[in-house]
Amino acid sequence: MEEDSKGESSMKALTRRGFIGMAATAGMATLAGCGSTSSSSSSSSSAATTEAATTSDGDLGLVEDGKLTMIANMYFPPFESMNDSTGEPEGFDIDLGKSLAEHMGLEANWLPSQAFDSIVPTIKAGGTADCAITGMTITDERLKEISFSDPYIDSNQALVVRSDSDDTEDTLNSSDKKIAVQAGTTGEEWARENLTEATIVPLDEIISGMTGVSTGSYDGLVIDLPVASNQIKNSFTDLKVIEQIQTGEQYGIAVNKDNEALLDAINTALAEIKKDGTMDSLEQTWFGTTL
Amino acid sequence: MARLLAAFAVALACVAGMGVAFAAPTEAFALSTNKATARPNEDGGDGVIGGIETRLTWEGTVGGDEEVSSVTLELADGGNFDGSTTRVTVLDGLTRIDIDSEVSTDGNLLKVKFADPIPANSLLRIVVEGMTFPAAGGEQVVSGSYETSGGESHALDDSNAIDTISNTPLQQAVAWLDANPAVQAWNSNRFLGMFLKPQLILTSLSSLFPGWVLCLGIVCAAYPFAILLGLAFSLMKLSRHKIVRAIAITYINLLRGTPLFLQIYIAFFGLPMVGINISNNLLGICVMAINSSAYLAEIFRAGIQSIPQGQYEAAASIGMSRMQTMFSIILPQTVRRVIPTVTSDFITSYKDTSLLSSVGVMELMMFAKNATSVSGNITPYVTAAIFYLIITLPLIKVVGIIERRIERSERGAGPRPVAGQDAGSATDELEAAGASHAEAIERTGLGAGTLEPAFAEEGGVADVR
Repeated sequence: MEEDSKGESSMKALTRRGFIGMAATAGMATLAGCGSTSSSSSSSSSAATTEAATTSDGDLGLVEDGKLTMIANMYFPPFESMNDSTGEPEGFDIDLGKSLAEHMGLEANWLPSQAFDSIVPTIKAGGTADCAITGMTITDERLKEISFSDPYIDSNQALVVRSDSDDTEDTLNSSDKKIAVQAGTTGEEWARENLTEATIVPLDEIISGMTGVSTGSYDGLVIDLPVASNQIKNSFTDLKVIEQIQTGEQYGIAVNKDNEALLDAINTALAEIKKDGTMDSLEQTWFGTTL
Repeated sequence: MARLLAAFAVALACVAGMGVAFAAPTEAFALSTNKATARPNEDGGDGVIGGIETRLTWEGTVGGDEEVSSVTLELADGGNFDGSTTRVTVLDGLTRIDIDSEVSTDGNLLKVKFADPIPANSLLRIVVEGMTFPAAGGEQVVSGSYETSGGESHALDDSNAIDTISNTPLQQAVAWLDANPAVQAWNSNRFLGMFLKPQLILTSLSSLFPGWVLCLGIVCAAYPFAILLGLAFSLMKLSRHKIVRAIAITYINLLRGTPLFLQIYIAFFGLPMVGINISNNLLGICVMAINSSAYLAEIFRAGIQSIPQGQYEAAASIGMSRMQTMFSIILPQTVRRVIPTVTSDFITSYKDTSLLSSVGVMELMMFAKNATSVSGNITPYVTAAIFYLIITLPLIKVVGIIERRIERSERGAGPRPVAGQDAGSATDELEAAGASHAEAIERTGLGAGTLEPAFAEEGGVADVR
């Protein structure tokens, strides 16, 4: 959109021939781009193939035949994040998704990261992803929109501030305080319910929230405890958890409500994963302990 | 008589029993209430409204060495638990304890019966989705009772008060829409219900308003600075001095060549790290002004360069200095030419304020995101679009009108200077009227006789005028 209006002035300076040449080059680049990014193009073409998939391979109603297409918000380490060097998704949920697909005899396919608050609508609308494994807590409110698998891990919330801050939950509950949260999370709900006086700032991902707390843009942050611990240990050493919020929430895998066959298959695979020790080894890998 | 005595004894025992129960707080309470909270259910607000479904979260701790086998929560009369769903969580520290429970509701009572008594020192969390507080509003206290594994029944201490409000006019309008069959039919369509839900359009119009005001405020405050900065850099880029030109080119290319999003991140996260703390809104204005100035500099440069060389020659011929030429001949003509492009840039800048939401500036998109994440519906974004269009559509129209007028005047059909008009404004019209240089000089009242001194040194110009 910027190029549209802002390019106008510079366009005047270009000769027409120069412009056509440039446009042609740009067009080629776009085409080439389409060819190489298979993961993103598959997501857009998938909507069209949904119907075919559900009719030909009726049992699981997959978006793409032979593939378990999964979606997540990829800024939630250690559950999901992009590997620094390869750019590939990695994390507990990612590995869980891979072994789920393996147990179901499917190929694991991770779609590009999406804002967390858009994941429930995406799964509800269907046609883009088969399921979402994205550290999503099972709540009755979400159950009205989508289905959840059996819980696969327990979690709690954390209230994070800068290490040199004297704030407590009580002092943060004041109108001159800004609390960063990730939009659409249970952490956001907790903040809205318990820090009623403070200004709640919903963000697309927590990394900018953590950065904001460390630079002083926000006074605090509410996020799932495992993520807070991981980030404080690895990246944001200038932050601290002042309160472990005991919510005892449980993460589940989100599936479209109409797709019971897939939900059953996922639950079966999940039970196998828990039974054969895969879950323990995943927990060991990503949390250094079995939960 | 004996019967009477017996009854008296029972009554006495009861009183004694109650006395013990009431004295209990000083002793160890098996289950103490930590807190009760409710989810805000005011569309586009943060109030808890009575009579409308919301979610109650009650938290208590089992103390001492007692075990609790059932808990009953009680709301004031008018509160309702019927039709709600309940999630019961028992925690030992941060670890869940799996205990099956059975929940039954009866009006303002909710009873949780545990399959096994919950152990001492555990935390009990009861989350009731879809309950309602009394419609009258006011301070709500959750009370109730519990039973220990020994079969004793005690009263729960009252929770903290939850502030609730009675219905607002906006909420009543929403309730009316909720009940309207046409609206229900509209919302039952998946797309319409997700993107154009009338209830949410109504509520988000009011809740997004402050964000819209801030958006407008930021861009309106930023733009005058952007214009001044842009003009300065465009003149610098046209400068004869290499270094000045290099500075301008670097500034313009760096800012035009990087996404605004990145510039915002650098400003909002980078500056505080080097110890510069500016309030969010002011910093937003600065970033928008600086970003826009680079685009405006290019627009002005193109505008200035589009003025035919003849204008410079004509100005030089009447003995104007370079500065004079620029400010009284070239720039006034440039202004008319760049108005459409500048307006387009203003529209872009106005829309681009939305990027500030990513760093916590409470502008329109932030409020929309807020409303969306609370409602789980896309409609607030559509309402935000309406707010953007309120400004952009009229501006686009204005640009169209100006462009048509300029086109007309460039073809020679525009307003011509009237005889007797003063020289200054006549100069403005020179280009528009498509006048030849000779005519122009004649009309400004400078005949052939005055041409000669114009070629003299700059010092001589004053004499000529």
